Amino acid sequence: MHKLRLKFSKNGPIKFIGHLDVMRYFQKAIRRAEIDVKYSEGFSPHQVISFAQPLSVGATSDGEYMDMTVNSMISTEDIKNRLNEFMNEGIEIISVVELGDSAEKAMTAAYAAKYKIRFRQSLKPDFDWISEFKKYLDNDKLPAMKKTKSGEKEIDMKPMIFSCECDEADESVTLLLSMSSMATLKPSLLFGGFMNSKGLELDNNALDIHRIDIYRLCEDGDKSYIEPFITDDISTRFYLNV
Amino acid sequence: MNYNLALSDETLLSIEKPERYIGNEVNSVYKDKNAVDIRFAMCFPDVYEIGMSHLGIQILYGLFNSYEDVWCERVYSPWTDMDKVLRDKDIPLFALESQEPIRNFDFLGFTIQYEMCYTNILQVLDLSKIPLLAADRTWDDPIVVGGGPCTYNPEPITDFFDFFYIGEGETRYREIFDLYKKARKDGVSRQEFLRQLSHIPGMYVPSLYNVEYNDDFTIKSMKPIYDDVPETVKKEMCTDLSKEFYPTKPVVPYIKITQDRVVLEVMRGCIRGCRFCQAGQLYKPLREKDVEYLKQHAIESLKNTGYEEISLSSLSSSDYSKLPELLDFLIEECNDKKVNISLPSLRIDAFSLDVMSKVQDVKKSSLTFAPEAGTQRMRDVINKGLTEEDILRGSHEAFLGGWNKVKLYFMLGLPTETDEDILGIGDIANKVAVEYFETMPKEKRNGRTIDIVASTSFFVPKPFTPFQWAPMNTKEEFLDKANKTRKGIMSQLNQKHIKYNWHEADASMMEGILARGDRRLNKVILKAYESGCIYDAWGEYFHFDVWMKIFDECGIDPFFYTTRERADDEIFPWDILNCGVTKSFLLREWKNALAGKPSSNCRLGCLGCGAASYGVGVCTEGKNNA
Repeated sequence: MHKLRLKFSKNGPIKFIGHLDVMRYFQKAIRRAEIDVKYSEGFSPHQVISFAQPLSVGATSDGEYMDMTVNSMISTEDIKNRLNEFMNEGIEIISVVELGDSAEKAMTAAYAAKYKIRFRQSLKPDFDWISEFKKYLDNDKLPAMKKTKSGEKEIDMKPMIFSCECDEADESVTLLLSMSSMATLKPSLLFGGFMNSKGLELDNNALDIHRIDIYRLCEDGDKSYIEPFITDDISTRFYLNV
Repeated sequence: MNYNLALSDETLLSIEKPERYIGNEVNSVYKDKNAVDIRFAMCFPDVYEIGMSHLGIQILYGLFNSYEDVWCERVYSPWTDMDKVLRDKDIPLFALESQEPIRNFDFLGFTIQYEMCYTNILQVLDLSKIPLLAADRTWDDPIVVGGGPCTYNPEPITDFFDFFYIGEGETRYREIFDLYKKARKDGVSRQEFLRQLSHIPGMYVPSLYNVEYNDDFTIKSMKPIYDDVPETVKKEMCTDLSKEFYPTKPVVPYIKITQDRVVLEVMRGCIRGCRFCQAGQLYKPLREKDVEYLKQHAIESLKNTGYEEISLSSLSSSDYSKLPELLDFLIEECNDKKVNISLPSLRIDAFSLDVMSKVQDVKKSSLTFAPEAGTQRMRDVINKGLTEEDILRGSHEAFLGGWNKVKLYFMLGLPTETDEDILGIGDIANKVAVEYFETMPKEKRNGRTIDIVASTSFFVPKPFTPFQWAPMNTKEEFLDKANKTRKGIMSQLNQKHIKYNWHEADASMMEGILARGDRRLNKVILKAYESGCIYDAWGEYFHFDVWMKIFDECGIDPFFYTTRERADDEIFPWDILNCGVTKSFLLREWKNALAGKPSSNCRLGCLGCGAASYGVGVCTEGKNNA
C-alpha cells in the first residue's frame, strides 16, 4: 500500500467546476486510468482520496493537491502519466510523491496559500488600486468581520498576511495568506476590507484569483518556515517571523 | 477543449451552475468546423441535468460524430436565470462544444420526450434567433427537425418544425445528410429540399399536408398537397439492434445529473400490451440485443466513462430472455471494479429478489409494484397482467429476505373506473401490510415495521394506444378520486403504515390536451410562450391559468381534446402517421377493454397488431402467429 500526494493544476473553463464536482471528476478519472486505488470497506465502498482546501468556483490554480492511497503501483511517475492520459485539458497532474505512513492529510497539513490576484476587467476599480492596496496593508490592524458557524466575529487580518508583492505593469498582487484549520484568510475577505476602506463594496465576482501553491509548516532547528507541499526548490521557502 | 466560451467569466459566475453552459465534458467531441460539411445542434428542450440523462441523444451524438463530414454538438434549455441573461445582453443561444450560435448550424434537432416541453422548444428557437414559424425561415436558418415519442402526434407543434423524423434515429440520418449536402450544392430552395426529404421513409414534412376540419372541429381529411408526397408516414425502425451503433463513450458531465451512470439498453419494445401505455405500442416489436454484445458494451462503457454505476434500460427488463446470464456477468464484473448495479423495476419474484439482494442494501431499498389499478376487473380492462396474488406472494418472499419498504403505483381516471376500483387501492395496500405482519412475527421484526407508499397519477389517454378513444377525466373528477383514494386508505386497519401521494391535476389536464391535440393548438402554444410560459414541466413554472386564458382568447375549447368521447371511426390528427400497429387492432383492443377482456402478450400468442410487417424481433420467434 502506498500513500501518495498529487499536485495538479486547474485552468481554463474547468475553473467553473465546483469542488465537489472536481472530486467526482477525479474519482472517474482514476477508474478510467485503471489505477489500483484503495477502496474503503463496507456496503458502498469509496476510493480513499482526499483533497486539500477547496478552490472557489471561477478561480484557477497551479497548486492543488489530492491525497490518494493505492494498493499497488509501478512508480509515482507511472501514476502521473496514466492519470494525465485521462485528464481533460485544463487539469494536469504536475507531480506525484509518496508520503510516509505518518504523514498528515493534505487538508490538515495546509498552513498557507499563495495567490495571484487581479480584478476582472469589467469590475475593476476606477482608481489606482494597487498603490491604494499597498497603503491599506500598511495599517497596523486590518479589522474584518468574518462569518463563522455561529454568526460573525471581528478578526484582525494583518497577522494572516505573510507577504505581498505588487506588479503594477501586470496589474496584479501576489499574496501569501494564512490557510490552516486555525486561521484562514480568503482573498475575498481581504479585498472586501480594502474596498470598504475606500467606502466601496467588493462585487462577489470582481476578483480574478489564481492560486499559485499551497504551503505546509516546517521546522528548521529553532526556525519555522513554510514551503509548498511538493517542492525541491529551496528558494520557495518562506521563513516566518519568530 | 474549447477555451473560448460564449459568456464572460462575470456572467458565468453570476448564474446558477455555470457548468451547464461550458461544455468540455469528458468524451464530448471537438472537430474542426472548417473540415466538416454539416453542423448539427442536438437539443433536449429542458435543463442540462435532465437533457444530459437522455440515452437517445447520446446515441445520435455518437452516431453523427462517427461521420467524418458531420459535427454534432449539444444544446439544452437555458435555465430561467440564464434565459434572462441571454435576453438582457442580447447574446444568441450557443452550442456547448463550439460555443457558437445555433443559428449558424445546418440542423437543429429536438428530441421531444414529453408534451410539457413544447414552450421550451420555442424558447430555444427564440433565444437562437431562429424564426419560430417554419414558414418564416430561409437558408440562413437551420433546418429544424423533431424526433421522439411526442412526434407520434406532432400536430400541435407542426408550425414550428421543418420536418419530423418518425421512428428510431439510427436508420435514415445518413441519407438525410447526403440529400442536404446535394441540395445545398445544387442550390435548390429550402421548400424543394423538404419536398425531396419527404420521399425518405419516416420523414413527415407537415407543411406538405393540408388538414380540413368538420363543423365540430373533428378532422375531415388530411392530404398531401403534392402527388409525390406520401399519404402516410411509417415509423422507421432498426431491424438488428446488435448491429447498430451504440455509444460506448457517452459524454460524462461534471455536475450530477438525473441519470448519472452507464446506461445499458438491453432491448427495445415490449411484449406486454398494457392498454394505457404508449411506449409499449410505439416501439413494437420487441427486439433484444445479443447478450455477448451487451457484455462487451458494459465493459467498454465503464472503462471509457469511469462511472461507478451501471443501469439496465428497457421497458420491461424481466422479459429479456438472457437476463440471468447478463446479470451474473455484471455482478461478477462490477464486484471486481467496485461498480454498483442499479436495477430497473424488475418483476418481483424469487429470481429478481435474489439478484436484488446481491446488488442492493436490502434494508435501504424498497420493492416496487405497479398494479396500476385497485381491482382485478380494472386491471383486466387495462390489460395489466399483475394479480393481487402476484403482489402478495412477491411481498411475502421479499419480507422474508429482509425488505420492509414497498412502493405501489396506481392510476386514477382509467376508462370504466368505479368507486370500487378506487377503494381497491387502499385495500391492496392494507393487504400488503397484513402480509408483512403475518410473514414476520413480532420476534423476527427486530424493531422494524412495514412502510408502504401508495402513489397515484392521473391517467392521460395517448395516441396510438387502445385508449386513444377514451374520454379523460376533468380536474374536478380527478381530485374527487384522489380524495376517495385517500379516504379509502385512511379507513384501512393498517392506515398508519401507508403513505399516500398524488399528482397535480392541472398538469395532467394540460398534458391530456396536448397529447391528442391538433394543428389548431399551434397558435395556443405560440401565445402561451409569448405570454411567458416556459418550463411547464416544472410545477413552480407551470401557469395553468395563463394557458386557460389563452384557450379562451383563441376561442378553442380545451375539453374538446380531453373529456370528449370519440367515435370509433373518427379521423385522428395522428392518423397520418403509421407506427406499425394498425388502427383496427387498437380499436379491437379498445372494445376488449370495455368488455373487461384481457389479451395475451406477444410471446404467449400473437394478437396480429400489425408490427409483424417489420419482420423482426419477437414477431419472428414463431410463436403462433395470427
